[in-house]
Amino acid sequence: MNSFRLKIVSPDGCLFEGDAELLTLRTTQGEVTILANHTEYLASIGMGRATVVTEAGRRTAACIGGMLMAAGNRVDVVATTFEWKEDLDADRAMAALKEAEEQLAAGGLDETRRKIVESKKRRAEVRLSVVRAE
Amino acid sequence: MAGVSTKAIKARMRSMESTRQITKAMELVAASKLRGAQMRALNNRTYFGTLFEVMDMISRSSIDFRSPFLTPGKGARPLYIVIAGDRGMAGGYNNNIFRFVMATLTEDALIFPLGKKTAEYFRRSKWECVSDSIPVADLTVGSCFSIARMICDWFLEGRFSSVTIAYTELVSLLTQTPKQTGLLPLTFEAAEPEGRHRTQFLYEGGDVHVFENIVPEYMAGVIYCAVKEAFASEQAARRTAMDAASKNADEMISKLNLDYNRARQAAITQEITEIVAGSEK
Repeated sequence: MNSFRLKIVSPDGCLFEGDAELLTLRTTQGEVTILANHTEYLASIGMGRATVVTEAGRRTAACIGGMLMAAGNRVDVVATTFEWKEDLDADRAMAALKEAEEQLAAGGLDETRRKIVESKKRRAEVRLSVVRAE
Repeated sequence: MAGVSTKAIKARMRSMESTRQITKAMELVAASKLRGAQMRALNNRTYFGTLFEVMDMISRSSIDFRSPFLTPGKGARPLYIVIAGDRGMAGGYNNNIFRFVMATLTEDALIFPLGKKTAEYFRRSKWECVSDSIPVADLTVGSCFSIARMICDWFLEGRFSSVTIAYTELVSLLTQTPKQTGLLPLTFEAAEPEGRHRTQFLYEGGDVHVFENIVPEYMAGVIYCAVKEAFASEQAARRTAMDAASKNADEMISKLNLDYNRARQAAITQEITEIVAGSEK
């Protein structure tokens, strides 16, 4: 299968650099799949599961926020959070989800604080969905 | 008289020793924090490098849409995000960045202070701050994103004319230089000569939509990287300063030790002289 050059970075450093055959992830507009020789393309990343298929196999990750650029058979993913499934901690995500839910249920948070807690909750949900998927 | 003097010297030596203990401890703490901070700053550079490349590609593509992020804000006053430390005892670290910023600051500038010392400094010198002090040490990726989004929203509301960020760059463990960069409005280099092919990007969900989502992300990336650089610089500056302080203390102690021995010897000599003088009578 044709491959393209893929680079994935997040503030934690470089998480992937090499040839890939397929990349699927969730943009703010919905799920997209990128194959080799994609046209010049730009998208902002939403929250969801990302899948990378290379010669070595298939890997999934939780990918939240950032941007995706395809140009000249090269794809750059600049993500806010990008964590491979094997690096995710289900218990920690579960605890974070529970804590966020409790905080939201208790109420009494101001506007900004509530937004922060809500996005924490959504992040935990994304992580859990990635860990629990087959 | 000699007795009093040895006692006084001894007391000074003791106080010097405890000062040295403190500076040494601070140096060690800074050194251990520095290791982690430096690694994070380096990881961040990879991220920032790619982020910057992407922004550069966009800037060189044909932009045939309008975005408020590309034109000066409707507000009259510029905003400066200034990053310094939460604590002193880091040599010239805090003062260097303040002096650097003051050199370009206009009268009507607004300050977004990051770090307790920054807020203290600008409050004292009567600049208007748009937020309370935010400790640098607890800034996570998430909070940088919230800050970036907030600043972008304010910019769109027309509170500022421009946004600039000032921080200290970690050049090496011994050198840190203050630096500042303009963030908003985004300034792209002048268009390349006509006739050259410009990349035409396909934007998922419309160019304006993507662009306006990307700008806060980019801002957050820059702020986060600047915070990490600044934090590593602070630790490096503190380590150097405390190392110098410990060395000074060592020097002082050995000088006092010499003085002490001299005074003690003088006292003994005097006593012997007195005894001898007494027995001769």
